Amino acid sequence: MKVRKAVVTAAGRRQRGIPLQTIIDRDGVEKPVLRALLDEVLTGPIEEVGLVVAPSDEATYQELAGEHRERVRILVQTEARGYGDAIACARDFTAGEPFFHCVSDHLFVSTLAPGGLTKQLVELAASEDCAVSAVQATPERFLTNFGAVGGQRLSGRDGLYRIQSVLEKPTPTEAEQHLVVPGLRAGHYLCFFGMHVLPPSVMEILSSNGQNFAEASAELARRGTYLAAELPARRYDLGLRYGLLTAQMAVALAGRDREDVLARLVELLAVTRG
Amino acid sequence: MTVLEEILTSADPNVRDCALESFAEQATAAMLLEEAAAIEALRHRHESLYVRVRALFFLYAIHRFYLPGKAGVPQQALIPGTGVEHLLDRRFEEAIQVFLREPTSAPVSSALGMAYQRQAFQTLADQVRRSVKSVRGNQWMFRCGHPLDYPLRLRPELLEPGFPLLHETTPVRMDLTHSGWSDIFFLGMDYPEGARVLNISVDLAVRGEAKPPVEAFLRVIDEPVLRLTSIDLGASADVTTLREVFNFGEDYLGLLKAAVIASGLVPPGLEGADQPLELLLEKLTGRAGYGLEIASQVNDIPKGSRLAVSTNLLASLIAVAMRATGQTRTLTGTLAEDDRRLVAARAILGEWLGGSGGGWQDSGGVWPGMKLIEGQVATEGDLEYGISRGCLLPRHKVLDRDSVTDDTRRKLEGSLVLVHGGMAQDVGPVLEMVTEKYLLRSEREWKARQDAISVLEDVLAALRAGDIPALGAATERNFFGPLQEIIPWATNAFTERVIARTRAEFGEGFWGFWMLGGMAGGGMGFMFAPELKARALVRLQEILRETKRELEAAVPFAMEPVVYNFAINEDGTRSELLRDQQALMPPGYYSLLAPALLRLDPRTLTPARRAELERLSEAARQTDGFSSMPRVLFDTLMPMRRATAGAGEALPELLERYGFDREQHELIRQEMKQGRIGLAQNRLPLSATLSDVDAAEIADAARDITGAHINRGEAALRDGAVAVVTLAGGLGTRWTKGAGVVKALNPFAKIAGRHRDFVEVHLAKSRRVNLDHETLLPHVFTTSYLTHPGIQRARHEYEGPLLLSEGRSIGLRMVPTERDLRFAWEESRQQQLDERQQKMRASVRTALIGWAKSSGEASDYIDNLPLQCLHPVGHWYEIANLLLNGTLKQLLEQRPHLSTLLVHNIDTLGAAVDPGLLGWHLESGAALTTEVIPRFIEDRGGGLAKVDGRARLVEGLALPQEELEFELSFYNSLTTWVSVPALLKAFGLQASELGDAEKVRAAVRRLAARMPTYLTLKDVKKRWGKGQEDIYPVAQWEKLWGDMTALSELDSRFVVVPRPRGQQLKEPAQLDGWLRDGSAAYVESLGAWGR
Repeated sequence: MKVRKAVVTAAGRRQRGIPLQTIIDRDGVEKPVLRALLDEVLTGPIEEVGLVVAPSDEATYQELAGEHRERVRILVQTEARGYGDAIACARDFTAGEPFFHCVSDHLFVSTLAPGGLTKQLVELAASEDCAVSAVQATPERFLTNFGAVGGQRLSGRDGLYRIQSVLEKPTPTEAEQHLVVPGLRAGHYLCFFGMHVLPPSVMEILSSNGQNFAEASAELARRGTYLAAELPARRYDLGLRYGLLTAQMAVALAGRDREDVLARLVELLAVTRG
Repeated sequence: MTVLEEILTSADPNVRDCALESFAEQATAAMLLEEAAAIEALRHRHESLYVRVRALFFLYAIHRFYLPGKAGVPQQALIPGTGVEHLLDRRFEEAIQVFLREPTSAPVSSALGMAYQRQAFQTLADQVRRSVKSVRGNQWMFRCGHPLDYPLRLRPELLEPGFPLLHETTPVRMDLTHSGWSDIFFLGMDYPEGARVLNISVDLAVRGEAKPPVEAFLRVIDEPVLRLTSIDLGASADVTTLREVFNFGEDYLGLLKAAVIASGLVPPGLEGADQPLELLLEKLTGRAGYGLEIASQVNDIPKGSRLAVSTNLLASLIAVAMRATGQTRTLTGTLAEDDRRLVAARAILGEWLGGSGGGWQDSGGVWPGMKLIEGQVATEGDLEYGISRGCLLPRHKVLDRDSVTDDTRRKLEGSLVLVHGGMAQDVGPVLEMVTEKYLLRSEREWKARQDAISVLEDVLAALRAGDIPALGAATERNFFGPLQEIIPWATNAFTERVIARTRAEFGEGFWGFWMLGGMAGGGMGFMFAPELKARALVRLQEILRETKRELEAAVPFAMEPVVYNFAINEDGTRSELLRDQQALMPPGYYSLLAPALLRLDPRTLTPARRAELERLSEAARQTDGFSSMPRVLFDTLMPMRRATAGAGEALPELLERYGFDREQHELIRQEMKQGRIGLAQNRLPLSATLSDVDAAEIADAARDITGAHINRGEAALRDGAVAVVTLAGGLGTRWTKGAGVVKALNPFAKIAGRHRDFVEVHLAKSRRVNLDHETLLPHVFTTSYLTHPGIQRARHEYEGPLLLSEGRSIGLRMVPTERDLRFAWEESRQQQLDERQQKMRASVRTALIGWAKSSGEASDYIDNLPLQCLHPVGHWYEIANLLLNGTLKQLLEQRPHLSTLLVHNIDTLGAAVDPGLLGWHLESGAALTTEVIPRFIEDRGGGLAKVDGRARLVEGLALPQEELEFELSFYNSLTTWVSVPALLKAFGLQASELGDAEKVRAAVRRLAARMPTYLTLKDVKKRWGKGQEDIYPVAQWEKLWGDMTALSELDSRFVVVPRPRGQQLKEPAQLDGWLRDGSAAYVESLGAWGR
């Protein structure tokens, strides 16, 4: 499996402003979230990105892509019909090829060099020759924010699971019945990390099932091998309350300004009262 | 390996299902002790839970039923107090170890029996709870310990403008097979193959068209509270703290709270979290300042219907809450199978939280139509695998139209008449008996269980064939056959009389009786030829009412019997989302809550409340069911004279009629308020020296009675020197839990072929004496205001003189003081309950202390039926009344040689005129000879002691320290041989003065003043609504007969008698043991039984 293209979705009603926010990356460089994301995706095996945006956002996003502008194709989701439909908008762009997909309202923080996470996921998909979704073990109180998978750990493979079921934003009741994965801490579930390598068949499934991504993923698991991989990284959902703040702190604490940020935090703790 | 070890551990069912009795009946004491030691060791080392539990039951049975009667086992010994304390504090293992260190004896065996039995039930209950908690889908709720961890969110549909109303309707269930109570969790988890029932979801109505009897409602409100309302119980509360959610006993909303917790809305892990509920509600709704309202309604179905109404209500509430939070797949319509199972598991959890218990088929109303529910063998992957043979939850197989056709379903509806007989019953003891007998595999009962299982096949075959007469025959065969073989107490005189009358009236057209649920008398079914059903509906109501009227003085009824209309519900639980004008609660909700809202300034109402009142106003004009709202609200809002209950008027008349002494009452009230009398003051002074009486110091009937004594006794009998006095004035509070019926008339057991009451039993014994000794013993029953009319009306047959000595003393109950309640509940030793029940009890007690304070401590208790407000003033007065009302005078006139009275309590079934004991008493010249028995563990309430050197009876409430009780070897049976001349002397009277009423009154007053007055707390039931009952502790005072032994001028002697003669039947839960340990047969052997 050779993966050359990526689809990044940024058209959601709730998320479309998020990639425009500015953060300071771990090297201390100020940049829009979108740029940080494109740095990750395009520094590696991916040659071209299809960026799905809402109508009238094309120019803004084109502008924000900066130095990656030439390798980014803007795709427009003409009506707000949900996440699955946004991916399906890239059907022509992916042109029957497997593709890398990530969301634009998450920030991924790792110790790897930019592009390292994308590369790892794409190489894994290539070597296993199947769909792979990155996952992160997540406490059950956050289940309402993510899609989650259930499955079995692959023996002898650290952090790799065979997906058997997928539920979108399950309640803990559903999760406990269908998504318990042996080996995880009690009350923790494998939730989507926001990065996937998907086969071309997902486009066909999406168009037949009414563009529901979780259901399409579940169908992928029914049809064949579909793996979940824990990556050496954390994802931060910027759309949550204080999501951007948390993500920024995580990036800063992992970067060159760690001491400075820590000192400011300590000072804050000292002077503010609960 | 010993015999019993083999039975317990064998994989071969032919060995495993062997009964203990086949071995134990033949074994010697030494063999039994050897086996007991072997299985005691086995239970500590075996890994299987059920082997351990069955070993515990074997040990219980060995000590309770077999060992005490074996040759060579000492009958007297002291039970170590430390062991008793362990028992009271639920440290059963520790208690067992203490008792095992004692030498073998019957009293210690009684203690071991109780400890083993409690440990067995505790182990089983713990296992069910562990299983409920570990069901997948339930576990997270126990992990969630802080509102910030709270993971549930309301479905967006409920947050739409106007806040739609989610409305769940749920049928109840009836069990067409009753496979020997096989739906008890313990049975299903050990013997899944035998756990099978055919369960049908039904709609009901007392009048009109049948509909789902259970409804639950849920909606968002614009106030940051959890508003809970039980429409049928007329209770509503705005809950604002987590603590209130977990406080089940403080109001009538316990079931709603249990549902809120079990559904995960407020997960059980949050118990004890000191966080505002508002924070959780904000997480749940996603909006600050918003909350949730949940309401429930049960339509006309009374409590005790045996249709699992409360479990299905719990399930309905849980379902609506799970739907609202996306925990089920569908918001509206019926539920998917997975979701039904989860709702059922949560309902079990809810029952555990509420401290109640149900069977595993009880939430059957969640499923549609007819279903076969079967135990499941646990296999690898099941949480129960390796722990129990069966799974916690059974499998439900809904029967389709090919199995049972529509035609058959209509035929069943056309034949069956469902009723509620009106009896109030506690089925808890029955379920414990069933479990115990199942695990012991007693031969007869095990065979009966197999028979009951085969009835299910007959029922299924009849349904497949559409043969309703065969169905009726099968259910009736079940009732009169295996069910009564397993539990004789499943039937009762009321039910059998109703069945006999129905059969007499409808003959061949009455196709069969069918017992619903735990025992007969409440919910029951009668099957008729379809052309007779219309008449049967009318006549059955009349037969039930007539039979109830005949028995209501003797049997506790919670309500008038009802006959239902019913229909099979083919949906199971289902819900709908009501929007806009449809989003209204039922009319009863507004009758309850709207008056308070209408009194408020409309500007203070929240927008949602204002909009709702507008909708209500619109509905009152246009919608059926709401058209009477204006009148209802008008009646509630306008001041009007309350109809005074007949009850209120009758109390003063009753007080007048029974000679209530207002002056004495006020004195007692004054002393109560000032703390001069009270529970703490009942006790003898700490300075009193109290010690045990040595067996050698008192007579022993087995040792000391000679032929000469018997001869003397027989001569006295022939001479007409003896009369029997049965004390029947008491209320039998423990027998009926304060229901206020006449225990003496309760047809409690089948003896010599039919149900007999206590009076009949005592008369049968006197009849036997008459026949054996060619005499006619006078038999007196002392009565009180409560028991006199009933006993008089019952007109028992007796050949000799039968006299009723009517009570002439009465007290008016009082609201207890907080001081006495706290003394009884906090300073006295009492049995600790299971964790959840203990919490429930604590919560109820807090509420009751609040009730006592708000009602006025030591004020008159008048908020009940008049008869429930009065109390008899102790059995000392029952003897004094013999003098006051002329009964003794009459006796002496009829029997000039009368010298001895045998006085005994109505509870003491083995008491009879025994010539040997009579002769011994006469020979001794004693004024009083009291019969005592060696103390067993269940004998609580004082006993025989030496107080300051004098042997006398001491009441339990008078012991200076409670723990002294178990230092006393002998328990008072309350059976006393009384010398008539000595009694008169104690009163300061001559026989010739008995006609002088004034002199007699003065004599009674004089002696009464020397008798201590005890303040006691008694439970009294207050009935309301549809079969609802509240139990209140009320204060009353009494003087007790046993204190006569403290009078120095009376020569009081004591004699040890065999236990079956002296033991008392205080509560129905004792009946099964009484039957099984040979006591019933002993009593039967004493009597000459009439027809």
